[in-house]
Amino acid sequence: MPPNVPSSSGLQRLIAQLAPLLIVCAVVFALPVLLNNDFLLNKVARYLVLGILTISLGLSWGFGGILNLGQAMSFGLGSYAMAMALKLKTVPVHTGASGLPDFMVWNNVAHLPWFWEPFRSLSFAIAAGLIVPALVAAALGWFMFRGRVTGVYVSIITLATMVVINLVIIDQQSYTGGFNGITDLAQLEIFGVAFDAYGRATYYLVAGCVLLSLLVAFAFTKSKAGLIVQAIRDHESRVRYFGYDVALYQIFVFALSAAIAGLAGMLYTVVMEFASPTFLGVQLSLSVVVWCAVGGRQSLVGAFLGAVLVAGMQGALSESAAFLETWTLVMGALFVLVVLFLPKGLAGLAQAALRWIVQRRQAPGRGVAQGVGQTEGST
Amino acid sequence: MSISRRTLLRNTAALGAFAGAGLPHIWIKNADLAYAAGGEIKVGVLFSLTGTTAIIEESLNKATLLAIEEINAAGGIKGSKIVPIVEDPASDPATFSEKARKLVVGDKCVSVFGSYTSASRKAVLPVFERQNNLYWYPTLYEGRECSKNVIYTGAVPNQQQDEFVPWLVKKFGKKFYLIGSNYIYPKEENNYCKKLLEKLGGEVVAEEYVPLGHSEFSSVINKIRSTQPNVIFSTVVGDSVVALHRQYKAAGLDPEKMPMASLTTSENEVAAMGGEAAAGHFTSAPYFMVHKSPENEKFVEAYKKRWGADKVTHFVSEACYFQTYLFKQAVEKLATSDLTPPNIRDAVKGEAMIAPQGKVQIEPENLHTWLWPKIAQAKSNGQFEILVEAKEWLKPVPYAAYPGQSCTEKGLVEKS
Repeated sequence: MPPNVPSSSGLQRLIAQLAPLLIVCAVVFALPVLLNNDFLLNKVARYLVLGILTISLGLSWGFGGILNLGQAMSFGLGSYAMAMALKLKTVPVHTGASGLPDFMVWNNVAHLPWFWEPFRSLSFAIAAGLIVPALVAAALGWFMFRGRVTGVYVSIITLATMVVINLVIIDQQSYTGGFNGITDLAQLEIFGVAFDAYGRATYYLVAGCVLLSLLVAFAFTKSKAGLIVQAIRDHESRVRYFGYDVALYQIFVFALSAAIAGLAGMLYTVVMEFASPTFLGVQLSLSVVVWCAVGGRQSLVGAFLGAVLVAGMQGALSESAAFLETWTLVMGALFVLVVLFLPKGLAGLAQAALRWIVQRRQAPGRGVAQGVGQTEGST
Repeated sequence: MSISRRTLLRNTAALGAFAGAGLPHIWIKNADLAYAAGGEIKVGVLFSLTGTTAIIEESLNKATLLAIEEINAAGGIKGSKIVPIVEDPASDPATFSEKARKLVVGDKCVSVFGSYTSASRKAVLPVFERQNNLYWYPTLYEGRECSKNVIYTGAVPNQQQDEFVPWLVKKFGKKFYLIGSNYIYPKEENNYCKKLLEKLGGEVVAEEYVPLGHSEFSSVINKIRSTQPNVIFSTVVGDSVVALHRQYKAAGLDPEKMPMASLTTSENEVAAMGGEAAAGHFTSAPYFMVHKSPENEKFVEAYKKRWGADKVTHFVSEACYFQTYLFKQAVEKLATSDLTPPNIRDAVKGEAMIAPQGKVQIEPENLHTWLWPKIAQAKSNGQFEILVEAKEWLKPVPYAAYPGQSCTEKGLVEKS
């Protein structure tokens, strides 16, 4: 995005850029009025959560140029933080006051491990769900970006780190529930509001977090730090010669992206009613990259819509009798089509369409793009 | 980058195709809320057709569909047809949960048949308990679960081991080497095995767990060589079963002196590793394809005719087949207006039938199944030879390793 000068035309442009974001959020909030069906709402809520996860990747990949193939790691850590708190809420009800979570009993654990203790507090769990992923990412970023690791090596390191954490979780089953994950959870309750997975409260909680994540990410991309991050993406050494601490900015965007992914992970546990090691698996992590690419990685709204539309289609296709056997093939073909014909994803298509309409309205021959900020696409 | 009108048109057309293929489906609502409307009884069939466990789960899907087709061909249930709604949960717990919600809440299925792994069962459990629906789970598993919303038709540890372990001790000796995949099922089976061995005066020379999907067993085989157990008690699952057997054979170990005794090796795994690698080893299960009974001959013949002459049946697909018939029997007992998942659960309690393995019955207390344990030895032709058949069917005791606890109709009870 070109830097904004705080003039009236700059303000106009800002509004024009915020418009798609606000329109999408308005639709998200209005959906329960149109969809009078708890099951569908629950399903849409799940896709919205995946959308938040994809926004977080869009931030680090599209704006920071850091392709994190382990984005699901932050997501999974958030998900486990929430699951641990909700699991401990079942303790007096399902197991007696001195009881332990069921899987610990199965693994012959005698006492609640020390790192589980603080999760008796929900506020601690929610804070941990944001801060732990951010700290892990910051630490990882510190090693990578201080050491000037770039490009494909960043992807390999993030992917490998995620796989390691995934294996540790599966292996340490007496503390994590292992391969089965943490299941049989209590309902989330905040200030007396119970968040039933099928309830409207949960849907609006997720929708509120969509709005929050989009606004935070948008504000960051418009801030000075956000602009420097984009400059680093486009020409790292030039920014370094200007005297900026490149690694610091990269670490910051990496950690911010991880915190948003952690938020998505916590919501996922509430919507799905369990946490599983597959939540920080390679498959999900790679899917996020695909969603982001389909939606348009340099547009936050595009990344969000990419996840919602593709995950929604995947669900719908695999549920239709006609595609039951071939749905993976159809999805694969569609991805190839999008990558071949829409290198900037759906967001790029929408922008081009809008520009084309604007041009048509003006006198022919004056082909000046107006109204919509065009993103720089060659990274 | 500028986009010409032609590119734009082409792109838009691609997008249109993209959206049109799936989206309308989202908006179709299920206005029909009754469980048996228009002479149709909807049931869900939830086995992975893609992903890592697809090979085994596809056979479960096929056995379930075969039973449904047979029931419908014979006139359905009191004139109503069973309509199976098949979903592909893609071997992923989150997708299992999503599809279970779709079947239970969206499609209003009156029951769902599904799951091979415990992880996927645990993932769908909240859906069935919250919605008070009914899940029919055909796989042998570790026990220690007492849900009112699951009918368990596979074996629990006492049904696989009570005959097997004493027989092994008597025939081969008291030194056991326990090897399993690293998750809850092998750990629970080994907990129970150790209890049995304690009573028999047996000895565990090593207890080892390998990661799921592990395929490098040379260090395990070295340890087996140095500890010289009488029996290798194996609960490794999936691809690891194949690797372990092949490497055992390659290392030149002899099944006559030091056999593997498995709870998880079925005809399906033997087909994957080849009969040569499996020959001589033992498995305990309630069903083998070679079992001689008129019901089994009918089942195997029908299965091959429907799905292909090269297909095998095994102890999980057999459970899929008979549990569908038990579902039919339970529904038959109910008036159409009473057809709800809790009523089906109450109707299936104590329900019995002659399954391919012998007469089976749902235990009213814990909703698990009375089964017929068998011990068999694998042959090089890919089939088993049944050596021991239980004289009596065996009651399911899901908390057998924990004498203080038992599963009753009211739920889990702890007694002193």
